[in-house]
Amino acid sequence: MKLFFLLLSFSFFLPVQVTAGEIPDQATIRLRSVQADFLQEKHLKILARPIISTGTFTFQSPQSLRWEYRKPIPSILLMHAGKVKKFVERDGQLAEDTRMQLDSMQVVLSEISNWVDGRFTDNKMFKVSFPKKQTVLLTPKEQGLAALISSIELKLANQNGLLDEVTIFEGPDSFTRLTFTNRVLNREIPAALFTER
Amino acid sequence: MKALFLSILLLSLTACATERQRHLPELTAIGDARRATACESIFPRGHWQFAHAIDFSMQDGSGGTVIGVTSLSEDEIACALMTIEGLTLFEAVSKKGEGLEVRRAVAPFNKPAFAEGLMADVRAIFLPPAAINIRHGWLDNNVPVCRYTGIDGRTTDILPATDDCWQIKTYTSELVMDRSIVGYSCQKKENSLIPEHLELKGFTNSGYTLKMTLIHAENLTRKTLP
Repeated sequence: MKLFFLLLSFSFFLPVQVTAGEIPDQATIRLRSVQADFLQEKHLKILARPIISTGTFTFQSPQSLRWEYRKPIPSILLMHAGKVKKFVERDGQLAEDTRMQLDSMQVVLSEISNWVDGRFTDNKMFKVSFPKKQTVLLTPKEQGLAALISSIELKLANQNGLLDEVTIFEGPDSFTRLTFTNRVLNREIPAALFTER
Repeated sequence: MKALFLSILLLSLTACATERQRHLPELTAIGDARRATACESIFPRGHWQFAHAIDFSMQDGSGGTVIGVTSLSEDEIACALMTIEGLTLFEAVSKKGEGLEVRRAVAPFNKPAFAEGLMADVRAIFLPPAAINIRHGWLDNNVPVCRYTGIDGRTTDILPATDDCWQIKTYTSELVMDRSIVGYSCQKKENSLIPEHLELKGFTNSGYTLKMTLIHAENLTRKTLP
C-alpha cells in the first residue's frame, strides 16, 4: 500500500521546474501553489474500455495537498502540517477512512519537495532520463518497486515547465494516464482547503 | 446479578437464532419450470463487463475502498481490483478448461487463498451454479427459491424475487451458510437483472463484507469496440 501513496506523489508535480541543462528551453517558474482538474484513464488488458475518473488537485508549497476524486468514487486525500487524512464516500456520505495505512505518506512527503524543486537527478528511487525534448522518463531502481511499476512518463507542456500528462506503466497492457487541464498557478489558497473536506 | 443473567441469556438466545439462520432452511418443493427461468435470469448472459465501487470490511476491522472490474464471456471470467488512484492490486483470469491465472497480486492481496476466494465470490455473483440437482419451491416465509446442489455437496439457494431484487445464499456440504449475497435496486438490462447495489457477506473464519455499488454494466456481446 506504500506504493499507492508513492504513485500519488508523482502527480503532485504538475508544475515541474527542471534543473538547468536537463531539458533545454524550458522556462522555470517559482511554485507556490497549483490547482488543476484531472482526468484519469485506467487501462488494463481485461478492460474493454478504460475506467475514467475525474477530479481536482490542489498543491501548496511546501507540503499541503488536496487530491479530490469526484467520479466514479468520491474521495479526498488531505495533507497539511505533516498530517494525512483520507475521506471516502460510504453509504452516500464522505467519511474519514481510518482503515488504510497512511503513515507511509510522511515518507513520500520528503520526496515531493525534491520534485517540486526540479531535482530529478537526486531521486533515490528512480533513474531519470529524457528520451524526448518534452518527456521525462522515470525507471524504478529498486526491484520491489520495479515489480509494481515498470516506468513513469511525464510529459511537459510547451511553457513554464508545466506537466500535461503523467503515465504510470505497470506492464505492457496496464497503465494509468492522468491528464491535467485548467491549471492555475500561485493563487492564494486558504489553509482550510487542506484540512476540511 | 439478575441483569447480568438476563444479558447472558439474551446473548445466548441471539447466538442460537443466528446459528439456526445459517443452516440450510427447509424447502417445500414444487415442480414449476418457470421458477427455474426466473432464477437463471438473475445472471447476465453473453459478454459483459462490470465495474463496481467496492467497500470491503474484514472481521479484524481492516478494510478499504477499491474499484472492482469483472469481465464475463462464454469461456472466460476475469476480474481485477484497483485503488481509486488507479494502482492495480489484483488481476486474474479463469478460462474454461484451464486453471486460474493470477496476473498480478499486490500485498495484502497476494495470498493464494485470496485469489481462490475472490474468484469463488465472483462466480457466485455472476454465474449460475454448477449443479447435479435443482429443486424449486418455497421457504418457510413463502419466499420462492431454487436450490442447486453441486457434485461436491455444496448447496446454492437463489431467491429470485426478494424485495426489489434477488438474493443468493451458498452453503457448505455440512449445510452451513458460508456466503450471503443480497442485491438491491435491480434494473432490467437486456434480459438480465442488474443490481445497483450488492452486499456480500462471507461467513468463513476470516469473516468479511463487501458492499458493491455499480459504476457501469456493459453488454459487449454484439458490440464492436473502437
